[in-house]
Amino acid sequence: MRLNIRTLTAASLVTGIALLTVPGLALAGAGEPGHGHAAAVGEPAKASSAKRVVQVELGDNYYKPESISVKAGETVRFVLKNKGDFLHEFNIGTATMHAAHQKEMAMMVEHGMLTPTGINTSMNGMDHSKMGMAEMKHDDPNSVLVGPGETKELTWKFTKETALEFACNMPGHYESGMVGKVAFTR
Amino acid sequence: MNTASRGLSRRDALKLAGLAGLAGVVTLYPERRAFATAHQTLDLAVERTRLTIDGATSHGIAIGGSIPAPTLRWREGQEVVVHVTNRLDEPTSIHWHGLLLQGVMDGAPGFNGYQPIMPGDTYTYRFQLRQAGTYWYHSHSAGQEQEGMYGAIVIQPAEREPVRADRDYVVVLSDHTPERPASVLRKLKLGSVSEGYYNRSKRTLFDFFRDAERDGLDATVRNRLDWGDMLMEPTDLADVTGYSFLVNGKGPQDNWTALFKPGERVRLRIINASAMTIFDVRIPGLPMTVVAADGQNVVPVKIDEFRFGVGETYDVLVLPQEDKAFTIFAEPIDRTGFARATLAPREGMSGDLPARRPRTILTMADMGMDHGSMAGMDHGSMAGMNHGAMPGMDHSSMPGMKQGPMAGMDHGSMKGMDHSAMMGMGAGSMPGMDHSTMAGMDHGTMAGMEQGAAKGSDRALGWADAATPPGTKALSYADLRAFSKTRDPREPTQEIVVRLTGMMSRYIWTLNGAKFDQGTPIRVAYGDRIRIRFVNETMMAHPMHLHGMFVELENGQKDRLPKKHVVLVPPGQTTSVQLTANEPGEWPFHCHLLYHMASGMMTRFIVERRTASL
Repeated sequence: MRLNIRTLTAASLVTGIALLTVPGLALAGAGEPGHGHAAAVGEPAKASSAKRVVQVELGDNYYKPESISVKAGETVRFVLKNKGDFLHEFNIGTATMHAAHQKEMAMMVEHGMLTPTGINTSMNGMDHSKMGMAEMKHDDPNSVLVGPGETKELTWKFTKETALEFACNMPGHYESGMVGKVAFTR
Repeated sequence: MNTASRGLSRRDALKLAGLAGLAGVVTLYPERRAFATAHQTLDLAVERTRLTIDGATSHGIAIGGSIPAPTLRWREGQEVVVHVTNRLDEPTSIHWHGLLLQGVMDGAPGFNGYQPIMPGDTYTYRFQLRQAGTYWYHSHSAGQEQEGMYGAIVIQPAEREPVRADRDYVVVLSDHTPERPASVLRKLKLGSVSEGYYNRSKRTLFDFFRDAERDGLDATVRNRLDWGDMLMEPTDLADVTGYSFLVNGKGPQDNWTALFKPGERVRLRIINASAMTIFDVRIPGLPMTVVAADGQNVVPVKIDEFRFGVGETYDVLVLPQEDKAFTIFAEPIDRTGFARATLAPREGMSGDLPARRPRTILTMADMGMDHGSMAGMDHGSMAGMNHGAMPGMDHSSMPGMKQGPMAGMDHGSMKGMDHSAMMGMGAGSMPGMDHSTMAGMDHGTMAGMEQGAAKGSDRALGWADAATPPGTKALSYADLRAFSKTRDPREPTQEIVVRLTGMMSRYIWTLNGAKFDQGTPIRVAYGDRIRIRFVNETMMAHPMHLHGMFVELENGQKDRLPKKHVVLVPPGQTTSVQLTANEPGEWPFHCHLLYHMASGMMTRFIVERRTASL
């Protein structure tokens, strides 16, 4: 997820919010390949480039399987099926990235953009600038939101070995244990 | 009952011959060895014992040899058999708090045909576990619960747990006094307002002058007169003091410790097994994610502290990342002490003790008498209000009242508030606003707010004010959302008003003005959907407990009303719940403050078949 911070008004009121919503890691957008430590996390890839498909069940509030083995340099196509009643996320990142993203998602829920069961489409494109807030969008390349009953996909290239987790950052879900380990094998 | 008991024992003896020699010994199967069809059987003896709290020897009553009693770890769907042997010289009983079961197995003497277990007798409980989660068990006889007869029940779900934890601990909070419960109750009844036997914080002359300086002499005198006329005291938050507050039977110096490795996910099953103490619970430096309330799963909600009614349970998850000790800190709302335990990577560590919170000063709003803010008040519900007890109240003088008019306001419901309209709001337009009372509000998101406006935590006004620091979140009932949707969406067809009433000065606590068995029982038809409105006409909070069925708290969560077995009703407030009357029987329905129940704050809740032949 990335926040496109376009409008900053009423600076005094905004400062705190803006600080709160700056992503923990400036992950490069889909258009520009990652650099710096973002590269360690990996990068999005085309589904056709994946040699392996991993099915993941998303439930309330868990993943099945609870850990996934990958190889450095491998591209994996994740097929994500939400069998629960709640909205879930599949996000690949470090624990620090997840912690930062949890704050952002908590704010999106607080403002009604996301509800516990889905994405509030009526709020898409809503201009939060009057509130002095940055526009919020859930559009990170390393993350997918999957509504109840939906199946979605994410194809990811794991460039090099690093400590990664796949996690759901909906409020309380990570804390409840909806997080799994990406285990690198040789 | 003993005949039935022996019958069951004989049957069990055949199946469990191998355990015959173990009577009086706690027998618990490790949960992972659960046999698909085998019963969980155990023997629990009730006997007097000595206990040591922070080095001082005291005495109490143990179930199964310890205080608290052993944690019973069961699995949903199992049939359990418990033989309880009374080794006291007085009758006893064990009630399974929060469990859905047949009336006679509920263990409340005088209800559903259950008789107390007489000295020397053994009673055999047998019931199927129809639920999962954290519950507890305790005596339902005399004041035995106060003397140590309480323990935890942990029931693993038949299906998958919605949460995952690396460690799982039971945290039983309680209050202990070396005094015998009968003596406590006698003193409570003897103590008048002028004596205030247990209330050590009556407002003093010093307070009077301080108030006068703040509010002006007129207002102070008027306020004083009001309180005087109502025969109550504004510091009456709890009526018994002199307690030691325990965590799993350990005092603050004993420091019960739970271990973790940094990065682990720790589940704490916190149970308020106190006789009389409502706590504010926090773990400074460690946010808690509440995943269950009263044993029932809720949509996880992240908080920093919660107010904890007697009889309630909350399951929370914490994720300590640092290699350091954290303090589990529970302060009674009258701030007469604290319970303390430690979460640590190693034994022998202790975390900092946080600064103690101030005791709140009750306001007229806590009496439901804040006439200045009556705009939204539903006069339709005032039918039963007894104005006779308000002789000296001068309504003409209310406009001048300054003190905490927002005290009873539930800010927990401000979630959906549209902050966009607040942009141009000048601080100048909020003259009378006292931020110190906004306990339930999440200041974390109000980044631009001038923190100076919040008075901080050196003073607390109104019952709801836990002196929660700005930027931290206290759980509000409005935050609780059932993990599963409400099974019975029917609109209630019967509404029952239960007025919580009492006369503090004579220590008489009642429901609808009547002591237990002097009033009329509540009768509902089996299968009906019922609404209960608790109207608290007293200045104390009452944790109202219904046996046999869960109630669903009407907290605005629509099709996900949280299920509760205890609902804490704040002073001067109205709280409503719904339930489906699907458990036939005559169930105890009472305030879970032990001495309130003992003095009469109880009634029968009878669920009967429509055909008269029950």
